[in-house]
Amino acid sequence: MSTIIRTQGITKIYGANGAAVHALRGIDFAVEKGEFVALIGPSGSGKSTLMAILGCLDSPSAGSYELDGHPVHGLSGGELARIRNGKIGFVFQSYNLLPKASILRNVELPMLYAGLGRRDRRDRALALLEKVGIADKADKLPAALSGGQKQRVAVARALANEPALLLADEPTGALDSRTGAEVLDLFRELHGQGHTLLLVTHDPSIAAQAERRVEIRDGLIASAEGAA
Amino acid sequence: MTSSGAFRERLIEAWTEIRENLGRATLQALGVLLGVASVLGGFSISDSQRQRAEQMYVKMGGLDKLNVQPRATVQEGQPTALQQADLGLRDEDAEDGAVLRPQAIQGVSSQKNARTRVVSPYADQDRSISGIGGDYIPANGYEVETGRGFSSQEMEAGSPVAILGTEAAAAFFPKGDALGQPLRIGDVPVTVIGTFRERVFRFRKDQHNQFGWRNRIIAVPASLVQRRMNGDAYRRVDRITFRIPDLNVMAAFSKQLQNVLRANHRMQDDFRMDDVAARIRRQNSQGDVYDIVFLLSGVLALVGGGIVNVNIQMASLKERVREVGVKMALGASGREIFKGFMTEALLLTALGSLAGLVLGVGFSWIITHSLGIPLAMTPASFIWAYALAAAFGFLFALYPAWKASRLSPMEALRYE
Repeated sequence: MSTIIRTQGITKIYGANGAAVHALRGIDFAVEKGEFVALIGPSGSGKSTLMAILGCLDSPSAGSYELDGHPVHGLSGGELARIRNGKIGFVFQSYNLLPKASILRNVELPMLYAGLGRRDRRDRALALLEKVGIADKADKLPAALSGGQKQRVAVARALANEPALLLADEPTGALDSRTGAEVLDLFRELHGQGHTLLLVTHDPSIAAQAERRVEIRDGLIASAEGAA
Repeated sequence: MTSSGAFRERLIEAWTEIRENLGRATLQALGVLLGVASVLGGFSISDSQRQRAEQMYVKMGGLDKLNVQPRATVQEGQPTALQQADLGLRDEDAEDGAVLRPQAIQGVSSQKNARTRVVSPYADQDRSISGIGGDYIPANGYEVETGRGFSSQEMEAGSPVAILGTEAAAAFFPKGDALGQPLRIGDVPVTVIGTFRERVFRFRKDQHNQFGWRNRIIAVPASLVQRRMNGDAYRRVDRITFRIPDLNVMAAFSKQLQNVLRANHRMQDDFRMDDVAARIRRQNSQGDVYDIVFLLSGVLALVGGGIVNVNIQMASLKERVREVGVKMALGASGREIFKGFMTEALLLTALGSLAGLVLGVGFSWIITHSLGIPLAMTPASFIWAYALAAAFGFLFALYPAWKASRLSPMEALRYE
């Protein structure tokens, strides 16, 4: 089994000398292909910072990070954009769909940035919407959808470029418990199909759905449990 | 993003953005619109004036003329012996001038005027008589309508023949049968052998006929005036005109001619030369001032509009930070974000310019119509107006687009 995430000694320091805040103090962390891992910790623990670094939205102050076998620390903004596009699929708490674009277009967007042709984009986006069960909403605007449906669109969009890693940041945070459970079911289903999932949450009951939990506290990994 | 119709996609997105924010987009386009309309309108109005003037010059018989006319040299006191001995402008000067540049000179004409009584069976009036020589008729935009022109033999011999303008023909032969009729000019009986086509030119509609006086012409051979009306043995003339289509030769020729004429005139500057084209160019340069004023007002509108655009764009960027963050998370590079914003701004500029061109055409039409001159628009005016708008649109779009492209993806995503 190959390794999707491998970090060594990742630190993140915000601010300068005197007022420096050490958000991460040396994270050694690995996720294997096909795993479903929950990253858990209270707010202020550094888990959002870690997620941003793992998602290539931010760069670590020090340490190394290999994603799908390629070192990504120290890459330029443009190179990071290409990696986010090809290797990572994001699912956010607030869905982050583009409000003025149709559902279909929202799902097509990562493929557009990847340079996929128009027909291919459309076919694949429709297939993905089919997969998450809302193909009939393809021409609607996001505002016409319920929270659960929006999150399904977000999942379809995250899968667009067949990413090595699905990164979900509090994906059920804005949903009621029933639709939240449905979305978690969808994640488990994806896991079953072989996708690698990293779920970031503060809620232990949601983290319990993952096969492995890693807890962050004060910028360090406090404990890890479950099958490694 | 290369061969996937990325540009088309950006265009669609830009169009969506504009349509969704119609009020904002209209405000942004307004500056461009007014700038384009004012540049185009200004240019078109001065083009229309200029074209009308050119039409007039063509009707006058062209601009490629160098006129030489006599000038008084004795300003005060008694003339010197040298001045008294000078014979003034003569046929000889025309002949000497013509041989200087036989290739470049397309025609030479001379004019010798007289004022005398003209008598027909129907009228008896005091009239100006134009004694004409060389190619005077075409050079001054006249055309013989009925009858015929003067033969070279008649010109040479000073035959008693005349050609009348429409007004003169109507005055002396109200029945319209001037051709072949006798007419007495001073003491000389002449025969009417032709009439000129009527000359009409109104700079503005409903204005008086500016060429009306040309219809009063009574033309006879210059040599007839010289020999039988003025009793002038020296064959003096009132005007010599050289036609030189090549304007580059014109300047050199007028210098040469000046030297020859001074030699002929015992080193006295008793003549003045008037390069018609150069004079018109000087007059036209006043039009250039207006062009610059129009251009400047257009540029000011575009700059003002541009600054407003930057402000609106920066304010709207605040609303769109999160959107930029999402796009970046999905893999849009800073360059891609930059292109997106530029596309939107340039599309807006293009639409604003198009509306501005339409407004500019309407604006020019109303002005020229109320002036009563035909509307003339040149492609250059359109290109100028559009290019200026595009240049300023591009320039003022750069800063907001650059700002957007420099956002940090993580901070943009967390922006509330």
